[in-house]
Amino acid sequence: MAEFFQHIIDGISVGAIYALIALGYTMVYGVLKLINFAHGDVFMVGAMIGWYVARWTGESRSPSISGALLVTLASMLVCGCLGFVIERLAYRPLRNSPRLNSLITAIGVSFFLEYGGQYLFGPNPRVFTVLPRHPGLHAGPVSLGYVDVVTVIVSVALMIGLQRIVFHTRIGTAMRAVSFNATVASLMGVNIDRVISFTFVLGSVLAAVAGVLYASKYPSVQPLMGLMPGLKAFVAAVLGGIGNVPGAMLGGLVLGLAEQIVSGYLSSSWRDAVAFGILILVLLVRPTGLLGRGEAEKV
Amino acid sequence: MAGLFGGSALTQARRALLSWLPFIAAIPVLWLVQYFFADQRDWEYAFQNINHIGIAIILAVSLNLVNGLTGQFSIGHAGFMAIGGYVSAVLLMRGPSEDPYRLFFIASIAAGAGAAALAGWLVGKPSLRLRGDYLAIVTLGFGEIIRVVIENTRLFGGAIGLSPIPRYADFTWIWTAAIATILVTKRLRDSTHGRAFLSVREDEVAAEAMGVDTTGYKVRAFVISAGMAGVAGALSGAFEGNLSPQSFTFVRSFEIVAMVVLGGMGSITGSTIAAAVLTLLPEYLRALANLRMVIYSIALVVLMLVRPRGLLGTREVWDLLPWRRDKRVAPRAKAPELSAALIDVRRATIRFGGLTAVSDFSLTVKPRELVALIGPNGAGKTTVFNLLTGVYPPSEGTILVRGRDTRGLAPHDIAHLGLARTFQNIRLFRELTAFDNVRLGCHHLTRESIAASVRKGELAEVEEKWINQRSEELLSVMGLLHRRDDLAKNLPYGEQRRLEIARALATDPKALLLDEPAAGTNQKEKSELMQLIRDIRDRFGVAVVLIEHDMKLVMGVSERILVLDHGVTIAQGLPREIQTNPRVIEAYLGEKYAREHAGQIAAGQVQP
Repeated sequence: MAEFFQHIIDGISVGAIYALIALGYTMVYGVLKLINFAHGDVFMVGAMIGWYVARWTGESRSPSISGALLVTLASMLVCGCLGFVIERLAYRPLRNSPRLNSLITAIGVSFFLEYGGQYLFGPNPRVFTVLPRHPGLHAGPVSLGYVDVVTVIVSVALMIGLQRIVFHTRIGTAMRAVSFNATVASLMGVNIDRVISFTFVLGSVLAAVAGVLYASKYPSVQPLMGLMPGLKAFVAAVLGGIGNVPGAMLGGLVLGLAEQIVSGYLSSSWRDAVAFGILILVLLVRPTGLLGRGEAEKV
Repeated sequence: MAGLFGGSALTQARRALLSWLPFIAAIPVLWLVQYFFADQRDWEYAFQNINHIGIAIILAVSLNLVNGLTGQFSIGHAGFMAIGGYVSAVLLMRGPSEDPYRLFFIASIAAGAGAAALAGWLVGKPSLRLRGDYLAIVTLGFGEIIRVVIENTRLFGGAIGLSPIPRYADFTWIWTAAIATILVTKRLRDSTHGRAFLSVREDEVAAEAMGVDTTGYKVRAFVISAGMAGVAGALSGAFEGNLSPQSFTFVRSFEIVAMVVLGGMGSITGSTIAAAVLTLLPEYLRALANLRMVIYSIALVVLMLVRPRGLLGTREVWDLLPWRRDKRVAPRAKAPELSAALIDVRRATIRFGGLTAVSDFSLTVKPRELVALIGPNGAGKTTVFNLLTGVYPPSEGTILVRGRDTRGLAPHDIAHLGLARTFQNIRLFRELTAFDNVRLGCHHLTRESIAASVRKGELAEVEEKWINQRSEELLSVMGLLHRRDDLAKNLPYGEQRRLEIARALATDPKALLLDEPAAGTNQKEKSELMQLIRDIRDRFGVAVVLIEHDMKLVMGVSERILVLDHGVTIAQGLPREIQTNPRVIEAYLGEKYAREHAGQIAAGQVQP
């Protein structure tokens, strides 16, 4: 039973990170109907920037709470700018061309970040420490890592914040309007370009936080670390219903739990297959996801 | 289509063999090259590259079938390659140690291709049903799963891989397979099935309306392509002598995608050239090895921004030569056909959420009848067409087409029953020629299998000739023969509308549904259209259901009129009854006007 609780705790912690990344996918898909393949790599850049800043400020040698905050803010800032630039240079010129082209471009950007990162950073993983060392909590055989606690608290806080932005602010209303019908929204005076830029920046900022948290958990950074979590977060977004903000959170949690349980009770080498198995299952049984609603194409 | 079956099995086989003769003759040539060059020590490095190119060509050309011709997006091609490679390698390593005639080798390649094709079917069947980008993710995920499975399977050598595999695949084998792949893909593309693939890429809704089973064709393209990737995998293993899961990562798939995109989506020669260039490039850029993927990715993004369809687009290299043009076939007339009862809609209702778009709608159309459906904007006219053609299922009521309940039928099934339509917002296959648009309409009338198209079976050729004749005839009836080889998107508006009608007629319909054919045309064109609709009815013996706002056209051409308003049928009858019907005038001109001018209306002086 203790083992089971341990898996649940680990699953929630991983799931919270997936959910943070999935939010970026789902928001961009909501407004642009584009799978932003590069999103997982923005997550990686977030972790990498964190590593550089931590080394520069001396944070990696003597970790402190305020230092960790600074590192996170810096990587949020850089990733926000990166998200803005990616949308501006790679996606905006293609907004009216076939979806296939945007998808290819997205993959191109993704590879550019991965292998550009590999060129600058080197292919080998590097140790990442920004959070102060702390033994964590222990309840009998079940242990609750310090990083896990921070991850869950930060993720929940960010999700509540995001929920407020999307449902209770003017820009959030504009985002929902663009997602519903971009042309009509623009006729109502919504500046679509600005809304889309904002969506990218918002998603990238969340990915940056997720990157720092993920890197602290495993404690390492490497240029291809964004690939798998990125794909899994996408699966989480589809599972919850793509384009649906609460769905992404739910999907992330479900996926994190499923993965931990499979790797705990079956074998950790099958871990990566779980996500894609779930994806194919969702597409077969309920293509609109857990919380999504289907729509017919207008002829 | 009766009476087309000619020739015994023997003559069929002889014809197939004859059409492949140049290819078969090429094999000894390849073997001579092998003997004099490839087996020589001085040429070893050069031929290693040449063989890599051959394998890359198989991969790129086969992926082009899915990504280029059919317009889907698969990024897990390396996964299918891995399946083919591993299945055949396991067989080879356990097979007889002596294989002088390479029979067992051929069998192992076939087994690898079969396994890959089966995997393609398993992946494609659930995911190709959906529109959008899901396929990309599913194929990507599938590729990763395959790798995980291989790494965890002892039979496949786990993470270390398989070695030594008998090195049977040499220059002759690889290039025979590469040339065969190119030929098969080319024949496929030039057949009626190839046009069906293209129609899926251009416009799925219109393709369904023309009777093309779009999901079926996507799955077929996917399975064939996966099978070919399996062949590439099998050859690759037997060429290198070893296989390891690391060579089938996402990066490998991405390289193949880059080849297809760079060469031009849909261009076979483009894929071939790009496969060669992208295979050789890293060899000559060894100094930049670390930047290779960075350069690839930048090239891809820039290409998408500058030339979205790739370097060659859908064209082939020889299309760039100025003197190439197809020969034309003289058109011939075809006798009209007659048939029994046609459309019978009984109390159909459809709701979208809380909105009842059409309620309690009934309509019968007899053969050769000209019926018009009119009503103010938003009355639900196009929705009726969508109900008839199976785009939406009715919430209530039944729709019979030629006596058959259409509930549960896909749009392409209903097209087979004999309903053809045009679209209010013209949905031609814009990147195909006028001729190909019409030929595509004939697609569902053909019987020959995909395999026969590749083999050049007799029936396939007879059918192809018949399709060409029929299509030219239709183009000439519509006055579009001079536009035969122009891309649909380059036609003027009025001609695009006529081309859509030609395409619909090509499906050999019993009833033709025209959605606002006169929209955006001038007075002269309208009176020509009126004549054209009558001609079509007389010549092809079809019933015509017409949605139109132009009252002169409606009153001039239709024998019976049905008026919709807010989804409700408010009147039906002969044209002159409708003209004086107070409810119709009220719907069109407003309640107030109708009340004030009641006298004039009764006297027949006001017309909607």
